Amino acid sequence: MDSLDEHDAAVVHRAALECEAIAADLERLKAMIADAGGRLLASFNVVGTLETQAPRGEAEQRRLAGAISNAVTALQFQDMADQLTTHAQLRLATMHESLARIAHGVDPLLATSRLQPVRQTGMGAGSIDLF
Amino acid sequence: MQSILAVDDSASMRQMVSFTLKGAGYHVIEAADGQEALEKARAQQVDLVLTDQNMPRMDGLTLVRQLRAMHAFAATPMLILTTESSDDMKAKGKAAGATGWLVKPFDPAKLLDVVKRVIK
Repeated sequence: MDSLDEHDAAVVHRAALECEAIAADLERLKAMIADAGGRLLASFNVVGTLETQAPRGEAEQRRLAGAISNAVTALQFQDMADQLTTHAQLRLATMHESLARIAHGVDPLLATSRLQPVRQTGMGAGSIDLF
Repeated sequence: MQSILAVDDSASMRQMVSFTLKGAGYHVIEAADGQEALEKARAQQVDLVLTDQNMPRMDGLTLVRQLRAMHAFAATPMLILTTESSDDMKAKGKAAGATGWLVKPFDPAKLLDVVKRVIK
């Protein structure tokens, strides 16, 4: 592979720095999600405890049980978001390595394509298969 | 009271699973990865295993294979609860000896229904 001219090498170097910056942003995002998730779970625990204590009518009890059920499904967001951001960080790290090699005139590595473990696009409940 | 071994490296997932199962009257034993789950399974009998797949130290499918090799767990229902949804992974789960494959996020009522159907 022909080595890059000075301009192209500078562009590639800037792209590598961008990868680092994006990865750092993702790390901050993970921390924010973890913080928000922790606060939500703490509040959820309070609601879950109180739910069993106060007497209420049947209709009201059903509504509350339904809301708690929806909350349990939605509160799983932290796990899935964490996996998504970690996967994105891994891809950025691979890209960064490839760009660094290009900038030094070495043949680029093909980005390792680990299958994305999280394909969900929303928080609707997932499928169930019994074998 | 029936016991369920719940395995996931995510603390928030373990909390949601435990909340759901305990609310339905099950005793829940938690583990943060397959290795810890294996150690706890060797120390006590459980009636069902509910495990994540992608975990450090030991993943879910490896845990299922290890447990199936133990006489005490040969017939214990084992469910995989994971973000993985590909047919390829589900086939690997079946081949490893899993009883079922649930894709995250779980609906509490559906999870309890499946547990009730497979637990002995």
